[in-house]
Amino acid sequence: VVEHEFVLSEKDIEESLFELQMVLLESDVAYPVAEAITEHMKKELVGTHRKLRESADDVVTDALRHAIEKVLGEGFDLVSYIKNHEKPVKILFTGVNGTGKTTSVAKIAHYLQSQGLSVVVGAGDTFRAGAIEQIRVHCERLGIKLIAHQEGADPSAVLYDTVEYAKAHKTDVVLADSAGRFHNRVNLMNQLEKIKRVMKPDLVFYVDEAVAGNDAVIRAEEFEKTVSTDGVILTKVDMDPKGGAAISIAYTIGKPLVFLGVGQGYDDMKPFTPSLIIDEIFGDD
Amino acid sequence: MGLDTLSNSLKDAMKKLAGKTVIDRAAVDELVRDLQRALLSSDVNVKLVMELSKQIKARSLDENLPKGINAREHVLRIVYQELVNLVGKEAEFSLKPQKILMAGLQGSGKTTTTGKLCRYFQRKGLKVGAIGADNFRPGAYAQLETLCKKINVPSYGDPKEKDAVKIVKDGLAALKDMDVVIVDTAGRHALEDDLIDEITEVNAYLKPDHRWLVIDAALGQAARDQAKRFHEAIGIDGVIVTKMDGTAKGGGAMSAVAETQSGIVFIGNGETIDDLERFDANGFISRLLGMGDLKALVEKAEESI
Ligand SMILES: Nc1nc2c(ncn2[C@@H]2O[C@H](COP(=O)(O)OP(=O)(O)OP(=O)(O)O)[C@@H](O)[C@H]2O)c(=O)[nH]1
Ligand SMILES: Nc1nc2c(ncn2[C@@H]2O[C@H](COP(=O)(O)OP(=O)(O)OP(=O)(O)O)[C@@H](O)[C@H]2O)c(=O)[nH]1
Ligand SMILES: [Mg+2]
Ligand SMILES: [Mg+2]
Repeated sequence: VVEHEFVLSEKDIEESLFELQMVLLESDVAYPVAEAITEHMKKELVGTHRKLRESADDVVTDALRHAIEKVLGEGFDLVSYIKNHEKPVKILFTGVNGTGKTTSVAKIAHYLQSQGLSVVVGAGDTFRAGAIEQIRVHCERLGIKLIAHQEGADPSAVLYDTVEYAKAHKTDVVLADSAGRFHNRVNLMNQLEKIKRVMKPDLVFYVDEAVAGNDAVIRAEEFEKTVSTDGVILTKVDMDPKGGAAISIAYTIGKPLVFLGVGQGYDDMKPFTPSLIIDEIFGDD
Repeated sequence: MGLDTLSNSLKDAMKKLAGKTVIDRAAVDELVRDLQRALLSSDVNVKLVMELSKQIKARSLDENLPKGINAREHVLRIVYQELVNLVGKEAEFSLKPQKILMAGLQGSGKTTTTGKLCRYFQRKGLKVGAIGADNFRPGAYAQLETLCKKINVPSYGDPKEKDAVKIVKDGLAALKDMDVVIVDTAGRHALEDDLIDEITEVNAYLKPDHRWLVIDAALGQAARDQAKRFHEAIGIDGVIVTKMDGTAKGGGAMSAVAETQSGIVFIGNGETIDDLERFDANGFISRLLGMGDLKALVEKAEESI
């Protein structure tokens, strides 16, 4: 059987590309990222040979799916990372205000405990009103050791003490909460660098939320520049299941997604797999 | 990449129109495309952007160029008017005794803003108190109480009470001598039916004078549907945009305003209790477009008509 082929021209895919760019934007992929992805696809597709019975639409959708799969990556297996590293494994959580850092610390503590690992949490947000009380209640409920100082104390000192506790008690994992901070506040970013110098985390997890729009790109870039992150946690995916912010962030800093937060319960934390996002964007089941 | 280049291209497109005394379709098309790009990069809802740009294009081409201004000023004026139409109306409220209900997504800034509003009314010479009806988030009442204590404002809460309506009822009794009572609530979102029901009940019991929706400046496309659900549930009559001290542009708040047919009441621009400003449409729109003081440009143009 002879398959008829034709060569894709820019004109053939223009409309489908525009529609897909709109889909990306409506899924909260940041504008420059959506544009870069569709530009990249155009370059890849124009001039390629296609079978006659394939519609331009299908070709473009397929290519987009591959492009997004590539951007999102395969995730990060935290449990095997911990099992293969010298203990304690120290993880610092950071990000802008209100994204879900403290809640994610609690959920991940619970998750790691259920995997048979021992955990200590450091109350590194000594700034925001009620922050220490918040993490204290979480840890009490989960039966997890918390190291905390007073409100207003130096966060580096608290986290240093947490690491010392873990060393003395042979605890497997240190989870360090920290205050929310904006990337354009130099003094707060300096404080974060100091925290990093003092506690020497093995991993820095950057926490952002699925409902964030274009700013997701800017702040991820800035945090990456200042503290260099190792993984991303995307929260509040239950609010906005399309999670285009995952694509914006992964594209911008190229770091693996580790977990998706999907609710306020302790079990509402899913180790990341690309299909969790892809299926939503493409409307698969 | 980056937004600077974007707003620059908008400025460039504006420049192309600058010397012209007749409206040139190609230049308007280009300008509208750049405007779309700027608005989409600031998180204005995709559908809203498309509607807006259609309107701006039509008006720019249909309306006669007023004598004394050039094509650039003509289009700029239309852009400004259309955006002001959308967000320009400042949500009204008075300094009378009143009850205010705070609503919004998890982590948007309700509790912090409740503290800031207490400070605002206190400064206006009113007796103000706060009720912490968030019976879900650990430490929620400790947070509100700490904020209120710092400014000597009374607060009521009961972390052990599960019933939010009961907390509000007891709180109103405890704060009956206050002129202004502000009720902080737990974060919730459109897909959480039971929590939407809860705030509907709180609203029915409290009968507040205002129901303000707190929106994070970084909120993206979800803003529209989220605001719609809150509006259906309790009737939002004002939007507060928080975290405007970051780099986010607040375009999501614009969708929320469009959806609730309300206006923006306040802007939150920092973590401390005094970081609250009344809304200023010009500043907001200029920032949205990355264009500097738009109003001044438009006024200058209007003077020459
Ligand atoms: N729906 C939903 N809510 C979440 C999720 N993760 C966190 N939250 C809620 O978001 C709000 C803010 O979470 P926090 O953990 O306090 O956020 P944070 O980043 O520590 O905030 P700051 O320390 O103030 O910067 C809380 O009400 C959490 O319950 C999630 O995955 N889904
Ligand atoms: N920089 C800055 N931070 C803010 C602003 N408003 C609130 N925040 C911070 O955002 C985070 C979340 O604020 P909260 O007041 O706890 O938010 P919430 O809506 O009450 O959260 P839930 O009760 O969990 O739904 C905190 O870290 C606040 O300090 C603001 O205008 N600027
Ligand atoms: Mg926190
Ligand atoms: Mg709160």
